[in-house]
Amino acid sequence: MSTVIEPSTPQPVRTSTSLPAWTAVRTVFSLEMKQRLRGRAWYWMLGVWFVVIGFIFVLGTAFLGTMDNEGGILFDLVVGFVLFFGLLVAPGLSANAVNGDRAGGTLAILQVTLLSPGQLLLGKWLASSVGSLAFLVLSSPFIFWALALGGVDASEALVSLLMLAVELGILCAIGVGISALADRPLFSIVSTYMVVALLSIGTLIVFGLSSALVTEERMTTTSYYDYPESAYRDDGMFDEDAELECITQTYTTPVAHTEYVAWLLAANPFVVVADAVPYSLPDEPPADALPGPYGPTGDYYSPGVMEMASQLVRAAQAGPDLDVTCEEAAAALRPLPQEVPIWPLGLGIQLALAGVLLLLGRRRLTMPARRLAKGTRIA
Amino acid sequence: MRTGSRCPFVYVRFRRKICARPGSGSAGIAYPLTMTDENGGIVVEGVARSFGSVQAVDDVDFMAPPGEVTALIGPNGSGKTTLLLILASLLAPDRGTVRVAGFDPVAQPGEVRRRMGWMPDTLGVWDSLTASEVLRTMGALYGLGEADRVARAEDLLGTVNLTEYAKQPARVLSRGQQQRLSLARALIHDPQVLLLDEPASGLDPGSRVELRSLLRSLAAAGKTVVVSSHVLSELDEIADRAVFVSRGRSVKSQTLDEAGSQTRRYYVRAEPMSELAAALQSYGVRFEARGDSRREEFLIQLGSTAEASWLLRTLVLGDVVVTAFAPAGGALEETYMSLDTDRR
Repeated sequence: MSTVIEPSTPQPVRTSTSLPAWTAVRTVFSLEMKQRLRGRAWYWMLGVWFVVIGFIFVLGTAFLGTMDNEGGILFDLVVGFVLFFGLLVAPGLSANAVNGDRAGGTLAILQVTLLSPGQLLLGKWLASSVGSLAFLVLSSPFIFWALALGGVDASEALVSLLMLAVELGILCAIGVGISALADRPLFSIVSTYMVVALLSIGTLIVFGLSSALVTEERMTTTSYYDYPESAYRDDGMFDEDAELECITQTYTTPVAHTEYVAWLLAANPFVVVADAVPYSLPDEPPADALPGPYGPTGDYYSPGVMEMASQLVRAAQAGPDLDVTCEEAAAALRPLPQEVPIWPLGLGIQLALAGVLLLLGRRRLTMPARRLAKGTRIA
Repeated sequence: MRTGSRCPFVYVRFRRKICARPGSGSAGIAYPLTMTDENGGIVVEGVARSFGSVQAVDDVDFMAPPGEVTALIGPNGSGKTTLLLILASLLAPDRGTVRVAGFDPVAQPGEVRRRMGWMPDTLGVWDSLTASEVLRTMGALYGLGEADRVARAEDLLGTVNLTEYAKQPARVLSRGQQQRLSLARALIHDPQVLLLDEPASGLDPGSRVELRSLLRSLAAAGKTVVVSSHVLSELDEIADRAVFVSRGRSVKSQTLDEAGSQTRRYYVRAEPMSELAAALQSYGVRFEARGDSRREEFLIQLGSTAEASWLLRTLVLGDVVVTAFAPAGGALEETYMSLDTDRR
């Protein structure tokens, strides 16, 4: 130990009291990543994740072996599962980013440097987002496998993965924002899970409950193709030569005007991803093709989970059809085309939520502190 | 203490006079509040800060001039750490004015931060980072360039004797080593003002000696050093001046020279003690038997060092076999005890 600090290192010329944003964010990011990549817990999580998604994928393959659109269904399954798992992992990775440091005594050390609160939050967000994306990257073997089976458009695959990444990023932003606001890691992790639950399950519950509010008794007309009474012979069999005719019924029934409340579903992460994906519609059947005796004819179309979610949202947006014609009845099992995309609204809500949380968090991290929450220490 | 120090350890009591820059050790230098010089030290006037109903800092005034080590002394819970947080631009005072290196930490935190190094009393450690990475990261966050960072980190690891741990993750360091790393971290950007909160806690005796000489050399280089500590005997040897804080108020501020010239207690031992008792009685010196020591000793209150040397000479010439004659405590300890501060 040399006992004298000799001014051998000349004091660098520093005229600025702030750091270049890129340097600052990169430094925080690499600090976080080094901490994470050198811990063992991280690799365990990734390993478990790989095994679980592999298991589900193989099960799915075995189960779907004989169906058509196998590639599409498996791809949807992986996307849905990565999103589901991302909802579980992202809060865990992000929601103690700031207050974990506070508990460990390292936050104040960062705060006395030239680092600004915004740069700190940005670096932390970037690190937790990259951490969450690792789960997506690790699923890539299965994604490619599903794509190799065919049936998925390039645009469909690209938008699915892109929206997945965006959703993970937003979830991490929410987690980092809450961790800057809450004092204790446990509280912020639980709160973030609550927000995630609110978005993914709460929206469904609210939608279901408010459907009851928009339900009313309405005169409804439905039509369908059937064989006339005369086609049935005395022995219970029916005449092969009989022609289908259009039967129309009118009755009063409660109908839910879901078109008024469909927007409630918008902020659901699954809806945002599913609604953004441009699923290709199957070809129109020939106009003269009439349904057979047991229902509509033509190709059966079996959508994957995400596409099904997309279809349900579109059905909710369309609302009840009070006058169903025979042509519509024949087309009932065909996928609905997209009328008004709902995902920009959902993405907007989520971004606004994340933005507000991050701004509040930034204010909280701005030092010198005037107000401190009860029982907190700065260092 | 190794060679290379300008002031040998054995003369540490006098180092103040040998090493300090001209004028730095003299008492009662008044620094005006309007000072905006970059090396302006620290000026605190009428600062108060409360947390809810707890008044952590009530009314503190003090000055820490550049080129000197200023000790912040007070019982547990007296507001020392809160005061240092205010100086470190982490906490805004409710009222009062603060100038650190000539800048207001509330209005110009950036200016303060790049001139100030802070060593907290808690050990914040990034477990997975190596000692060298910790320092380089901090360097980056103070805007040092890549090459500067590396060189400075290497220098400082040498300074705090951690070179062999440069590539070890910080979690394997012992408490004292982490404390030293924390000190190096506070020095990474070569700050003008250094705030150290209990820097000596957890250090082994060798490291304490090294800390002492490091702080002295920083002060000699014109830095403003503020140290809070409980180890008064230690502060005796490094501090130029001391500020006593009790219940959030600065109750006394004195230079070590003032502290040294005040009334002090000495303990005296002789063989046999009865002869010493008789001699003291005959000179009219009041004494009492010391109660807090294992050995049998007398405590004597003496007004000055001159008085002490007179008594020692008189006793020796009077054929009393004096085996020990020394100040009962450090100069600061005397002041501390005389302030009658209550520990909370």
